Amino acid sequence: MSDLLEVKNLSVSFRTPQGELEAVRDVSFSVRAGEVLAIVGESGCGKSVLCRSIMKLLPRDAWIKGGTVLADGTDITAFGQREMERLRGRLFSMVLQDPMTALTPTIPIGKQIAEAVRVHQPRLSRQAVRRRVLELLELVGIDRPEDRCGLCPHSFSGGLRQRVVMSIALASGPKLLFADEPTTALDVTVQAQILDLLRDVQARLGTAAVLVTHDLGVVARAADRVAVMYAGKIVETGTVEEIFYDPRHPYTWGLLRSLPARARQGEPLYTIPGMPPALIDPPMGDAFACRNEYALAIDYQQAPPMFPVSDTHFAATWLLDPRAPRIAPPVGGGFHG
Amino acid sequence: MADILLDIQHLTRRFRLGRTASLLAVDDLSLQIHRGEIFGLVGESGSGKSTAARCVMNICRPSAGKVLYRGVDIWNPREFRANRTMLQTSRQLIFQDSASSLDPRMTAAEIIAEPMEIHRVRPPRGSLREEAAFQLRYVGLEPGCLDKYPGQLSGGQRQRVAIARALCMEPELLVADEPIASLDVSIQAQIINLFQHLQAEHGFSILFIAHDLAVVRYLCSRVGVLCRGRLVELAPTGELFDNPVHPYTRSLLSAIPIPDPRLERARVLTPFEPDGFDRAGELAEVSPGHLVLQGGGGV
Amino acid sequence: MTRKNPLFYYARKLALFLLSVFVLSAAVFYISRLAPGDPLVSYYGDRAEKLTVQERQRAEERLGLRDPIHVQYVRWLEGALRGDFGISYKYKMDVTEVIAGRAGNTLILGGTAFALIFAGALALGVVCAWYEDRWPDRLLCRVGTIISCVPEFWLSLVLILVFSVSLRWLPSSGAYSIGSAGSVPDRLVHLILPLTVTVLGHLWYYAYLVRSKLLEEVRSDYVLLAKSKGLTRRSVLLGHCLRSTIPTYLSLMAISVPHILGGTYIVEAVFSYPGLGTLSYESARYQDYNLLMLLCLLSGSVVILCSILARIIGERMDPRLGEAEGWEAAEYE
Repeated sequence: MSDLLEVKNLSVSFRTPQGELEAVRDVSFSVRAGEVLAIVGESGCGKSVLCRSIMKLLPRDAWIKGGTVLADGTDITAFGQREMERLRGRLFSMVLQDPMTALTPTIPIGKQIAEAVRVHQPRLSRQAVRRRVLELLELVGIDRPEDRCGLCPHSFSGGLRQRVVMSIALASGPKLLFADEPTTALDVTVQAQILDLLRDVQARLGTAAVLVTHDLGVVARAADRVAVMYAGKIVETGTVEEIFYDPRHPYTWGLLRSLPARARQGEPLYTIPGMPPALIDPPMGDAFACRNEYALAIDYQQAPPMFPVSDTHFAATWLLDPRAPRIAPPVGGGFHG
Repeated sequence: MADILLDIQHLTRRFRLGRTASLLAVDDLSLQIHRGEIFGLVGESGSGKSTAARCVMNICRPSAGKVLYRGVDIWNPREFRANRTMLQTSRQLIFQDSASSLDPRMTAAEIIAEPMEIHRVRPPRGSLREEAAFQLRYVGLEPGCLDKYPGQLSGGQRQRVAIARALCMEPELLVADEPIASLDVSIQAQIINLFQHLQAEHGFSILFIAHDLAVVRYLCSRVGVLCRGRLVELAPTGELFDNPVHPYTRSLLSAIPIPDPRLERARVLTPFEPDGFDRAGELAEVSPGHLVLQGGGGV
Repeated sequence: MTRKNPLFYYARKLALFLLSVFVLSAAVFYISRLAPGDPLVSYYGDRAEKLTVQERQRAEERLGLRDPIHVQYVRWLEGALRGDFGISYKYKMDVTEVIAGRAGNTLILGGTAFALIFAGALALGVVCAWYEDRWPDRLLCRVGTIISCVPEFWLSLVLILVFSVSLRWLPSSGAYSIGSAGSVPDRLVHLILPLTVTVLGHLWYYAYLVRSKLLEEVRSDYVLLAKSKGLTRRSVLLGHCLRSTIPTYLSLMAISVPHILGGTYIVEAVFSYPGLGTLSYESARYQDYNLLMLLCLLSGSVVILCSILARIIGERMDPRLGEAEGWEAAEYE
C-alpha cells in the first residue's frame, strides 16, 4: 500500500446549544506518500475540523462519531491522547492559518523550534539540537538564523512567522503535513512565496501534505489532487487538472464561475444563489440541491453516491447517473482572462 | 473633468511606535475621487490604506495635509461643525469585519435604523422599522432577519446588514475598508455584485480598499497603489493592469493568483523589496490619467 | 520623535511617585484635622477631661495645635523633610520608633500571607485548568465561591470559637505569649489563625483569575501548534500557557499588595494582633495625628510603588506590550 493516510467514513459532530452539529459527514479520502492533496471549500464546510479530527486536536465539545483513520498502515481511530502525542510531530504535524497567533508570544523562536526537535529525540545533545534548529531555519529560507534564534515572534513579519511555523512543523521529519489555510492571513506577494516554499520543501523531503484552503488560486499553484468539500461532505475529488479543466459537480462549477479573476469588467459576476445549509439539521438528500440550478428531483430525496469519472476523478452528483439528462458543463477548459 | 467629490491633498499621518521610533503610515497622499466612480486603493498590509480611509472619515487625525469633501475642509473644526450633519450622513463607512463592527446586542433592525434616529431623519417609508425592512430587502435579505442579532447571521448576511445601515442615509461617498476580505468565495461574488448594482442605481462614489487585485480589477474604474504609505501609481484600471510602470505595482500584479493550474504554475513572481524603496520623487503623468512616482524606485 | 532613554523614564516615574506622596500627605493632614475629636485625649488619656481651660490652651500651644491648619502642615512638612515626623501623642515617643516596633509583626503576617496567596492561587489555578470542567475543578470552584462569600471578621470569630475557645488548641489574640517574644514556635502558633483568615479571604479571587487567564490561553492557536509538534499536555500547559500568563499575574499581584495589606489590617484588629493595622485603627480613633500621618504615608507609598512596579513588570516582561502594540496601533488606530 502506498497510502499514507486513509480515512474511511469519518463523521465528526459538535455539541451546540441548538443540538448536534454534524461538521463532517461520512468522509472518505486517502493521501499517498509525497503528494499534495488540497481540500477546498467554504468556511463551515468542515475542512479544518476534518484535519483536526485526524490529529485528534478537536475542541472539547466535538467528538468523532464514526469511521476509521489508518495512518501509515496503523488504525489510529481508537488512539488516546498519550498515543497521539507520540505520533504528532513525527508522523504528522500542522501549519496554521494565522502566523500572528500560532507562535507562543513569550518564547524565543529558537527555543520553540528546539522544543519541537527534542520532543521525539530527547537524547540529542545541546549542540546537535542547535545545529538542527539552524538547519531548519535555513530550510525554510530564513537568512541569518543565528541572529534570529533568540528573538520573540513579535519581531517578525507575517511571512517570516509562517516560515518559522513551518520549520516547527517539519522539525521531527513528519511524513504528512496538514496546512490549514497557510496563506490566507498573508499578503498576496508573500502568499506565493510561502506556497512555493511549501512545495519545494515537500518535494525535497518527500513529505505529503494536506492543504486546506478556500482559495482556488492556492489550489491551482500547489496541489496535485483536489477534494472539494461542501456541507461536511466531499462532493468531488480528482487531480488538479481534472478539477479545473473538467469539473463535474455543479458546486465546483459554481465555485469556478464566481471568481472575479475569471469575470470581465461590466458583466455581473456569477453567484451561487443562497447560503450553505445549517449542519445542525442537515437537509435530506443532496445538501447542495436547493442552491443547484441543475438539481434533479432525486437530489431532494437521496444523497448521491460517488460516481467515478475516471480512475482518479469522482463526483457525488446524480448528473453522472446514466439515467440523468446530459448537461453541457458551464465551465472547464481553463482560464480565459 | 468630472465633478470632484473628495479631494485629498498632501495627507500625512505619523504614528508613534513605542518610545523610540515613529512610522509614516500615510506619506503625502494626494488624490481626487469623482462623483459616481469606484476608486480602488490597493497595497499590502501596513501600506497605510486603512489609515487613509480613517483620515477621510474623521476617525484618525492627519498629521499634515487636508481632506476636502464637497469643498469642505473636514479637519477644520469650524467648517466641520458648520457642516456636521451633511458630513456625517453623506459619508458612510463599511468595515472588513462586520462581526466586530456591529453591536452584538442590537438587532439588525436597530442597527439599520440607528443612524436615522441619531440624525432625526424622518424615515421616507413611514416607521423606522419599515424603513429598515425596506433596506434589508434592498440588499437582498429576507425581512425575517430584522429581529436577528449579528451573532445569528452568517458573515455574508452581516456584511449586507452593514451595507444596509450605510445605505439608509443615502450616502454620496461610501468608504469600504476590505469589505469582502473575510467572506467566502461564493459570498464574495454576491457582495461584489451588490456593490456594483447599488452603485449603478444610486450613483454614489465608493472608495474601495482592498488587497485582492482581481476584485479591484473587476469592480473599480480607477486604482491607486500605496506602498509603505506612499502613492506610487495611480491610473484607470485597464491602463494600470495592462501597462504597470512602477516596479511595486508590477510586483503586486505578478502576485495575483490565477485559478488555473497550468497558468498559475507558469506565473513568475516579480520580486520587490518595499523596505529599501526610495520614497523621494514626484508623481508624473506618463499617459493621460496615469501617474507614476518618478525619481525614486528606479523607474 | 522624542527619544527617551531609560534614565529619563525612571526619573519620570520617581517624580510621579513623589508628587503623589505629597498630594496624599496634604490630603490626609487636612482631613484628619477636620475630623471631630480631641487629640489631647490620646495625649493625656482620661485626664484630658479634667483639664482647666488654661491648661488646655497651654497644652494645645505646646503641641502646636492652635495654629491654622496650613501653618501646621508646613511645620510638619519641614520636620518630615528633615526626617522628624514628630512624636506620638499616645506613646509619647518618636512615631518612627512606634511604627518600627510594630512593622515587623505586620510584615511577617502580610508577607507570609502574600507569599502563600501568590503560590497557592497559582497552584490552584493550574489544577483547575488542568481538570477543566471535571470534578476536581468543579469542586474547587464551588468551595472557593462559598469561602470567598464568608466575611473575614465572621470567619475569624468562628475560627476563634472553634480552635481557641472550644478546642483550646490555638491562642485567640496577640503575636506572642507574654514573656516569650523571641520564641519562634510561639510566634508561629499565634500566626496560624490570622494567617488562615487572610489567605482564605484572598486566595480564591486570584486562583479564579489564574484559572480563567490560563483557559483563555489554552484556547489560543499556539497551543494547537505546540500540541501538533508532539508536546504533552503537561508541557503545553506549564511550558507555554503558564509562561504567557505569568507577566499578567505578576503585575496583578503587584497591584494587589495593598489589597492584601488592607485585608491584614482588618484581621489584625479582630485578633488584636499588634501590627500596623491595629496601630492605624487606634491612631485614627484617638486623633494621634503624627502617627496617623506617617502610617497613611507608608501605606500610600506602598500602594503607589506597587502600581508603578506593576506597570514596569508588565512593560518589561511581556514582549507583546511595548513595540508590538505600536505596530498594531499603526494599522488599526
